[in-house]
Amino acid sequence: MPHQCTSCGRTFPDGSKEMLSGCPDCGGNKFQFKPAGATDETASAGNDAGSGGDEGGPVAGNEPDRSPSTSDDRPTPDDGAADPNSSEPADATPSEAAAADASGRVDPSSASEASESVDPPSPSDGTEQIADRSDEDTAQASARSEVVSSDELDRASREVDPADTAEPPAEGEPQPGIDALRDELNEQFESIRIVSPGQYELNLMELYDRQEYIISLQEDGRYVIEMPDAWGIEDE
Amino acid sequence: MGLLTNLRDSISRVTDGLFAADEPKRIGIYGPPNAGKTTLANRIARDWTGDAVGPESHIPHETRRARRKEGVEIERNGRKVTIDIVDTPGVTTKVDYKEFLDHDMEKDDAVRRSREATEGVAEAMHWLREDVDGVIYVLDSTTDPFTQVNTMLIGIIESQDLPALILANKTDLEGSDVQQIANAFPQHETIPLSALEGDNMDEVYTKIAEYFG
Repeated sequence: MPHQCTSCGRTFPDGSKEMLSGCPDCGGNKFQFKPAGATDETASAGNDAGSGGDEGGPVAGNEPDRSPSTSDDRPTPDDGAADPNSSEPADATPSEAAAADASGRVDPSSASEASESVDPPSPSDGTEQIADRSDEDTAQASARSEVVSSDELDRASREVDPADTAEPPAEGEPQPGIDALRDELNEQFESIRIVSPGQYELNLMELYDRQEYIISLQEDGRYVIEMPDAWGIEDE
Repeated sequence: MGLLTNLRDSISRVTDGLFAADEPKRIGIYGPPNAGKTTLANRIARDWTGDAVGPESHIPHETRRARRKEGVEIERNGRKVTIDIVDTPGVTTKVDYKEFLDHDMEKDDAVRRSREATEGVAEAMHWLREDVDGVIYVLDSTTDPFTQVNTMLIGIIESQDLPALILANKTDLEGSDVQQIANAFPQHETIPLSALEGDNMDEVYTKIAEYFG
């Protein structure tokens, strides 16, 4: 699952538009992007690693960075997080989360509990991209009910720590990881294509057409988007 | 149904009238990088408020966040027009840190500048969608106006029915060709000026009052 909410740990399939207006579960707007290859690797390693004590593997690389954000940023648990099945991945190390989630997706029981409002992952990128916009609007509507904290925004606008930036490909083969990540991003972001760090191609029409907009780009595949018109929705 | 529609129309005309009287129009200064948008914004702001809007630079993408100057009162022919000026980052389809390296910039700074510029373009495009009431489109009259960016932006502005003033800037430079810009966008009026030297600003203000008043 390439996209993961850094607040509640929820993951999204490649090409999903669900999180374009923030995480439908917790409203978080900070996401981690993991290339499919890395996730698989992490998933298998994570099961063996247990508490994540393994040296070297992707697990150790992810942990120092992710644990602060998963513990600090997690908002009050909502229906998804309150469920023991789904809260476990959020508490666990990222690799475990990825592993648990990867298996949880296919397990009907936990999948249904974890995601009431979740659209089923689309079979392929193509269908997701051309899915009609009314789906997206529902997701936006639910996402808009929560407002990102100023703290979160502040953190998002900060420079990425060098450690952060180096995180995804920290071990193993770094170059294929970051390249794959960029390729994945490029396929999804029709509006901004990251050619390489510091080199961007912009699709102006797409940027103009989108209701939400990107307010922070980060080279490690994270990005921050603004919630569109949160004040247009009745407060709950 | 016809009655309802008429009623709604007349109500919206009344409210439009109210807003027009009370709220200053928000005028976005758009255009490609290095066209002189900030120089123009500063010129307007200094002429009418005494303040500047932001730093100008010959390095592209100096403006990476939209900057606003509110309540700029422009007086023309005994009439007062109040506008909010929004100076936007230059719109482009490609941002490459390498172009900053020529300007004596370290790579890290250039990469950061590049990222900020990209975010700025995203922001500017978003503003164009819903946050501006009119556009001053600034072009460098020494460069070819037939570009994808110009065509696309002018197209968007037209599709939004926003009042748009096209300015052919940098007339003080050799090689300035105002006619080329007028030919590129014949459906709009093109005003020549040098924002840097303050040439022809009188006509610019008259047109601003006429278009956005």
